[in-house]
Amino acid sequence: MSKEPVAVVGVGQTKHVAARRDVSIAGLVREAARRALDDAELTWADVDAVVIGKAPDFFEGVMMPELYLADALGAVGKPLLRVHTAGSVGGSTALVAATQVAARVHRTVLTVAFEKQSESNAMWGLSLPIPFQQPLLAGAGGFFAPHVRAYMRRSGAPDGIGSLVAYKDRRNALKNPYAHLHEHDITLEKVQASPMLWDPIRYSETCPSSDGACAMVLTDRAGAARSPRPAAWVHGGAMRSEPTLFAGKDFVSPRAGRDCAADVYRQAGVTDPRRDIDAVEMYVPFSWYEPMWLENLGFAAEGEGWKLTEAGVTELDGDLPVNMSGGVLSTNPIGASGMIRFAEAALQVRGQAGEHQVDGARRALGHAYGGGSQFFAMWLVGSAPPDA
Amino acid sequence: MPDVLKAPLVVEFPFTRSLGPVQSAFLTGLRERVVLGVRTTDGRTLVPPVEYDPVTADEIRDLVEVAPTGTVTTWAWNHAPRRGQPLATPFAWVLVRLDGADTALLHALDAPGPDTVRTGMRVRVRWAAERSGAITDIACFEPYDGAAAEPDGHRGDFADPVTGIVAPARLDYTYTPGRAQTAHLEALAERRIVGERCPSCRKVYVPPRGACPTCGVATSEQVEVGPRGTVTTFCVVNIKARGLDIEVPYVYAHIALDGADLALHGRIGGIPYDQVRMGLRVEPVWTGGARHPDHYRPTGEPDADYDTYRELL
Repeated sequence: MSKEPVAVVGVGQTKHVAARRDVSIAGLVREAARRALDDAELTWADVDAVVIGKAPDFFEGVMMPELYLADALGAVGKPLLRVHTAGSVGGSTALVAATQVAARVHRTVLTVAFEKQSESNAMWGLSLPIPFQQPLLAGAGGFFAPHVRAYMRRSGAPDGIGSLVAYKDRRNALKNPYAHLHEHDITLEKVQASPMLWDPIRYSETCPSSDGACAMVLTDRAGAARSPRPAAWVHGGAMRSEPTLFAGKDFVSPRAGRDCAADVYRQAGVTDPRRDIDAVEMYVPFSWYEPMWLENLGFAAEGEGWKLTEAGVTELDGDLPVNMSGGVLSTNPIGASGMIRFAEAALQVRGQAGEHQVDGARRALGHAYGGGSQFFAMWLVGSAPPDA
Repeated sequence: MPDVLKAPLVVEFPFTRSLGPVQSAFLTGLRERVVLGVRTTDGRTLVPPVEYDPVTADEIRDLVEVAPTGTVTTWAWNHAPRRGQPLATPFAWVLVRLDGADTALLHALDAPGPDTVRTGMRVRVRWAAERSGAITDIACFEPYDGAAAEPDGHRGDFADPVTGIVAPARLDYTYTPGRAQTAHLEALAERRIVGERCPSCRKVYVPPRGACPTCGVATSEQVEVGPRGTVTTFCVVNIKARGLDIEVPYVYAHIALDGADLALHGRIGGIPYDQVRMGLRVEPVWTGGARHPDHYRPTGEPDADYDTYRELL
């Protein structure tokens, strides 16, 4: 029996900011979920199940927050499921929700992801003082910066590529009313002059800490037929994982990422991603990850990703726009960040992306990763239903 | 098998919480010796209150005062109170349905012994002398045989409301690094660096984990590696990390020790930070009685050729 086609008919998110002191965690997820339902013109009663994701419990120090969020998400008397895959969780949460519709377990599923970084301590949660171990000698950026240097050595990319990415993403964010950072006076010179934190990563090439939530309503063909606005159709979705550290691990272009993309393209019938995909929203927490992921995801040959960035191909009006929303570089509520990528891909093919809409976007890729480049989740959505 | 190392690991952090409108009113009420519930769409009163109706999922904001007296609906005796619990002497955990409420609140009951506690017994709030807007503003409940108290009809509007709380979390573990890492750590104390080789793929892991993450088989063959190695990649750290007493800038590097099949992490010293490069040959420097090398310094050998370490990047 074939799978049920899955449609995204509602997208909602909060205005992402540094601190939402006016709401509880319940109030935050509720706001995004309510907006997704409003977009789909549905009520709580129309939802059959809820799938929720967030980063590790240690971040906000609330054990299993999904239990107490059942009331806020209208999940009482329905299945409520938590997904947990570190920074990629927003993406894998959406994929678990999509699977429930595709398998005809449920007809309409609400999926939500969130993080309240202002009430969280991500660095503490990730660097416990384990006895006998040598302490990590650098912060989060220090973990990723050596991999960026390895990419630069391997590809021969010039030093300035990372600043170009940050400048582009921060300008895109100005067109997105939900983005956290709105740096109206941003210039390339300001990015290039920002302090070097973990050489080769500059301050302006890092992501902020945000409070925010994102939600989507996924439904079947019948649900899509009733939808008041265009649907985004899931053409392919996949997850892959690998150990954080192993002999032969390629941190610059992890195999799990390559395999995950290949699986999605196979499902969607994509043979040339650069030609067949109109827009990409990928998880870029440090600017240099744009050229790295362009290669990992098959949009450029190995060592060539930076040339697309340098040539302006990934600009909003370029031939392959990347991170139209402003990306993780402009908004980072960790647990929600993956879902925001997936939601942006859906908004693009629905023609609902407002000022950061890519004209005529028919197929868009949403990408998330997390842990020590360890978990990958991606989906490809289209404006037309998948081939039967 | 030799004894494995063991040490306490305490994980502790004071988390902040924004309360939102309903919990804000509830906790501010406790500070003012007022217990508030919330009215649901079908007219029930929930204490403690919630923000969203469990039946209809509607947002609920209709706050109503209930009495500080109530009835125990069930209980369990706590023979040995632990640190941070409401009372230092043995007490009963109780669910109390306050007069005017339809649901029960979890708290402590101060009673002389388990034979004095029963379901259906009447109790009242004992307020803490110092109150700050927290559930501990109710010190505990105590037995009470008077009439139900009459609430004043407070609706939850307060001057100077509590909008956030600090919730300290603490976890106590006993940590052991296991057999393989214990052997590695004991060798480090003798200033030797010992890893383990996978019997299947022959890769050498340092530090060893006791199993190969690629092949999924146990490892036991010990292999001494280094002490010299090659800087595969690095970054220059320009901001001080919390709790680390190292002057910036310094170099944080991935170092592939000779004979190891993946890099470990270390600081590079004995050379200006802006002269560190990929391929630099280094060796560990131990100081004092520390188990781990303090840093790695240049050996003076010619740099390693890129092709010798590109697979270890």
